[in-house]
Amino acid sequence: MTDTPTTSRNVSLFATCLGDQLSPDAVHATVTVLERAGCQVTFDPRQTCCGQPAFNSGFWQEAREVARHFLDVFKDAEVIVAPSGSCTAMVHRFVDLFRDDAELLPRAEAMAHKTFELSSFLVRELGVTNLGARLDARVGWHDACHGLRELRIKQEPRQLLAQVQGLELVELKTCESCCGFGGTFSVKMPEVSTAMLDHKLDELQMTPIDVLAAVDSSCLMQIRGRLERRGSPVRTMHLAEILASR
Amino acid sequence: MSSAREQILGTLRSQPGLKVPPLPDVMTSASSDATPIAERIAAFTAILNKLGAPVDVAPDMTAAATRITEVLAQHNASSLALSDADEVLAIAQTLPATIERIPHDAPRESLLRSHAGLSTAQWAIAETGTLALVSRHERHRLSTLLPDLHIALVPASRMLATLGDAFVRIGPDGAPDAPTITFITGPSRTADIELELIVGVHGPKALHVVIVADA
Amino acid sequence: MNTSPSNRKANAFHAQAKNALNDATLKQALRSATDTFAERRSAAIAAVPDWEALREQARLVKDATVARLDHYIEQFADNAEQAGATVHWARDGKEACAIVQKIAEDNGATRLVKSKSMATEEIHLNKALAERALEPVETDLGEWIIQLAGETPSHIIVPAIHMTRDQVGELFVDKLGIPPSNDPKTLCAHARERLRSHFAQADLGISGVNFGVAETGSILILENEGNVRMTTTMPKVHVAVMGIERVIPRFKDLEVFLRLLPRSGTGQHLTTYQSILTGTDSAQDSANGQGPEQVHIVLLDNGRSKIAVDEKMRETLACIRCGACLNACPVYQTVGGHAYGTVYPGPIGAILTPQLAGMHEAKPLPFASSLCGACKDVCPVKIDIPSLLLELRQRAVEGTDHEPATKRSFFESMSWRMWSWFMRGPKRFRFASAMARLGQRMPLVHRLVPPMAAWHSTRELPRLAKRSFRDTYKGPSK
Repeated sequence: MTDTPTTSRNVSLFATCLGDQLSPDAVHATVTVLERAGCQVTFDPRQTCCGQPAFNSGFWQEAREVARHFLDVFKDAEVIVAPSGSCTAMVHRFVDLFRDDAELLPRAEAMAHKTFELSSFLVRELGVTNLGARLDARVGWHDACHGLRELRIKQEPRQLLAQVQGLELVELKTCESCCGFGGTFSVKMPEVSTAMLDHKLDELQMTPIDVLAAVDSSCLMQIRGRLERRGSPVRTMHLAEILASR
Repeated sequence: MSSAREQILGTLRSQPGLKVPPLPDVMTSASSDATPIAERIAAFTAILNKLGAPVDVAPDMTAAATRITEVLAQHNASSLALSDADEVLAIAQTLPATIERIPHDAPRESLLRSHAGLSTAQWAIAETGTLALVSRHERHRLSTLLPDLHIALVPASRMLATLGDAFVRIGPDGAPDAPTITFITGPSRTADIELELIVGVHGPKALHVVIVADA
Repeated sequence: MNTSPSNRKANAFHAQAKNALNDATLKQALRSATDTFAERRSAAIAAVPDWEALREQARLVKDATVARLDHYIEQFADNAEQAGATVHWARDGKEACAIVQKIAEDNGATRLVKSKSMATEEIHLNKALAERALEPVETDLGEWIIQLAGETPSHIIVPAIHMTRDQVGELFVDKLGIPPSNDPKTLCAHARERLRSHFAQADLGISGVNFGVAETGSILILENEGNVRMTTTMPKVHVAVMGIERVIPRFKDLEVFLRLLPRSGTGQHLTTYQSILTGTDSAQDSANGQGPEQVHIVLLDNGRSKIAVDEKMRETLACIRCGACLNACPVYQTVGGHAYGTVYPGPIGAILTPQLAGMHEAKPLPFASSLCGACKDVCPVKIDIPSLLLELRQRAVEGTDHEPATKRSFFESMSWRMWSWFMRGPKRFRFASAMARLGQRMPLVHRLVPPMAAWHSTRELPRLAKRSFRDTYKGPSK
């Protein structure tokens, strides 16, 4: 474990719009986990969304307006932690959105530097892996794309899961396969989106697990919707929920 | 100058303000590897064997001729298309008279029906199991392509370590040494039907390399 | 096959993708092929210790070349002519086709053979030549199968990836009258025999170009089968069609690209053959040239010069056509190449086609991606395809100085305006989520509101929590 004293433990929580509205339990668990790791957590209720849905859909003007709101809300935050790799990656992409804006570009750059996804914040920034959690379950991990390929998060969630008592981490061959969500892609091309996910879920028929987990509410929403439709007994859990379990 | 040329270049020059990143120095593996010849031959052999191409090492030209005769017999090959390399012409003289020798400038029809082809190679590359043939030194384009079996007679001293070593030699002043340079790594192959590997599509069905120790 | 090749369009991606999803044979063929290639690629690059350095170098070389493409392509043309080749410049596909046709007619050539080339597919050269009864025989095994079937390639490297051995066998029985067989080896032997007679009689050979070397005017072509060597050696006339972005500055730069391309494409450390051709044999070897008497190089622009001066998009031209992004792409793995309705499928096709053919000809393609980023990770020249897709999406929606925005439905545009408004204030956000909670109690909403109906067609709808986090969070526990 490395101690990185430069990182502030005064955390501004970015619940993400999906987390806030769809999976508040995962966000509460995020607070619990951060507090157990020694952080002071604050939640600014003015926050809404990072702007990703519009950005990914080509509506950059609208995305810019929402991103601008984010920059204002979190202006004074020391560090921002989100229980999502995708939303964190979007904040890192504000620099693309404001590339022609001399005033906001430096603010976007600064924001990128202080915004972290949960697992990488715990492991890389705080040097914490053991949160005293316990969960008796066989867990398969889904490496969500933006965390994996934009933030280069791969080992961090595994290091955290390895410390959870009673938990058996089952490595899936398709752990890095996209769940097919892709924001509006999931409703613009529902058949393709679902076929992509089915490739992943088909593996579960050979590899029994109890829980399929990830650090992104968006992927989990997609995965859960299809598991339910397929009548699968496998549950979905957010990483924070696992780490907060006792 | 055609107008198409002017127009294409005109578009390319229409935004003079764009960034022009510098061209990096050439990255090359040349001379980075000093493994002894014997090890190079072993590496070369291992790669080609994996691709289904046998490699023999003959102590001298006499032994090489014997080996070539055996290989021809194995393949029931009674006609042999020759490149015009000195080594090839010399060894061809010592092969049994029953083997029909077809010179490099024979009519296409006779080259097309020859069972085997014999060439040397200007360089061999241990790292990749590759033969490099340079047309200025050896007219090789047909004898190494048309027959079912290609036999290459390669002096051991030409065995280079890396791809970069070959580029230095085939392009000594940064320009290719000949109008045609051919790299050959194994027999002709395809995987176009269900990715199943099949050897011998349009080029030779078999490649056999005979390395001669004291050339 | 559900859609006939001539009807496929990039703008019909949705329908074509759905057709592909319903084809069980295709699904299995695609999965096995893309998995196999991905595994071979991983194994091949794992054995290269300096893979990242090679990628970095290749990209730097490409960036420097594209930025001065005017200089390098002109240098290439001059040097190729110096070496004895004839260089032609073509602004677009039509012009390129006319040039090839004229070369054939000037030489009285009637029997044409051709090796695999994406540039010639792009300009539909075969179709143009067929109109003059000059259609070349494709000689790459996969391309020949495609030609016999009246199909189009579905993969950059393996054109017939979508066909099974049974389908190929039936095709050969039907078109060539061979005895029934589904054994690839037997089928291949028939192909060898047939195509040999074409090679022996051909009077003009058409090839593509993998790399053109500016400082020497050389072209390099990679292959496994030997048909490129046949095509560029046997006929008296060789015509090479080369996209202007194929040029690299120096002869010795070839080494880096030769290390990257085969490993990324087929997982081979080198393909079986590389032909490095500089002008004609006869220019340097008047007595005994074995190759063609004439070599023509057709430099094809067809939209590339515009991309080269588009600063945000020009990394598109770094592509070396290895096909790795196709094999890595979960969308391509699922729907295959034909769904794209274009010559270039997969992630590279999704960024290349809207630029070459125009956004309005390929509206769905930039959106046909979950932006997972797998393509960027495997690209040997590190093209940031997801970012380029995002840029193209923005251009499609908001338009550029050169191209108007593509038409959006009123519903879509209005939704994003409203979304932005609701997301810019906590009270509005709260109001919107309250409305959504109300809405999800009404079962008809699932069926009638388009995005939810689309979701519900294949998945259970997510349920908003009874009370959101912001409504239940009480502040720090201590």
